[in-house]
Amino acid sequence: MTRRMLGSLGAVVAGAVMLAGVASAHITPPVVLMSDRDAVVTLLAGAQRFFVREVRLSPAEREAIKRQTGWTPDEDFYRFYLGRDGQGRLVAGTIFVTEFTIHGPVRVAVSLGPDGKVRGATVVELTEETYPWVKPLIDLDFARDYAGQDSRGHFHLSDRLGSLEAMPQFYGQVISGLIQRAALLFELGVLRRGDAS
Amino acid sequence: MNGIYLSRLPWSGKVFCTLFLLGIGCGALAAFTQAATAIGLSPAEVQASLAPAMPMTHMSPGQMVGEKEITLGEISSAAKVWIRTPLLIQTSHTHLFGQTLIAGLLGLIFLFSSLREWAKALVLALPFVGTLVDIGGMWLTRFVWPGLSVLVIAGGSLFALGYALITVISLWQLWIGTVVRTSGIRGAGAPPSEASL
Repeated sequence: MTRRMLGSLGAVVAGAVMLAGVASAHITPPVVLMSDRDAVVTLLAGAQRFFVREVRLSPAEREAIKRQTGWTPDEDFYRFYLGRDGQGRLVAGTIFVTEFTIHGPVRVAVSLGPDGKVRGATVVELTEETYPWVKPLIDLDFARDYAGQDSRGHFHLSDRLGSLEAMPQFYGQVISGLIQRAALLFELGVLRRGDAS
Repeated sequence: MNGIYLSRLPWSGKVFCTLFLLGIGCGALAAFTQAATAIGLSPAEVQASLAPAMPMTHMSPGQMVGEKEITLGEISSAAKVWIRTPLLIQTSHTHLFGQTLIAGLLGLIFLFSSLREWAKALVLALPFVGTLVDIGGMWLTRFVWPGLSVLVIAGGSLFALGYALITVISLWQLWIGTVVRTSGIRGAGAPPSEASL
């Protein structure tokens, strides 16, 4: 009797351990590669004064973004860090954009010039699970492929990344989509609304 | 319970329970370190990660744009995770499954301790209650009142307290304690319950 009960107990424990393993396999701790301040300092190089601009999108602006990218902006407001020179002229702006993938969030800081063109981008936060897939992209400095493009540019992976495996390529598409979102948000939130300096 | 007690388990059962408890302890330490580095351990730090972002420009609710000059010191230099709703959903589902399964396995072992029923029920409830308070506190912090971030700390502490009590008592009864007292339920076919030190 006791042996049978111990056997049952063992089966229950084994089942629970398997379930716990399945559940814990989906817990993906975040990996923060860079603080917001470091990203702003790096991406707004050349600026002498720093400003923060916060913008609420109108329903028409949200619709325009959805039409162009398929993504619907859902934040209450979007924050831009603007860098200006000594005379108050806009040098560049930086915005942080995030995609919540099935493997966790991927957060990217994107810098844009006064002409609305991408100056640079850097991944600031991802997860343990996505890091091995995104690292090959970071190592190849893949974001430079989008420098000089505005929101209507081609945000596809360049041929030089064609040899990467499927998951890095997938995350390359995710991040390039984020860079395009940033360019579009900058265009609507900063350039079209005029420079408030 | 039903004549099976930790102190009377065969060697294989004792080794299993011991290694499981120690393994969970190592996992808990790693989780504590992860929480300390990614989020922080004070209610203020939890609040900063979970509460909705407030405009730095003090935009009023209907205002469409706000801008102000800042110093770099106003931008967060800490590499901290900012948990927004999609990540909160993801964190909730993984942690509710994971922590409840861990609490269940801890409780399963603890069911075979020889404490009084009320004490056993109280101790094994702690990790379950802690999990609910912890995750519930995250949602309340985000959507009800940021000051409720104290619940996240309280929930984590309850889980840790429950784990510590279960582990110390279970290990004691597995390897050191001996049954010293018989009391409690007696009835038709019911074995006596026992208490040990």
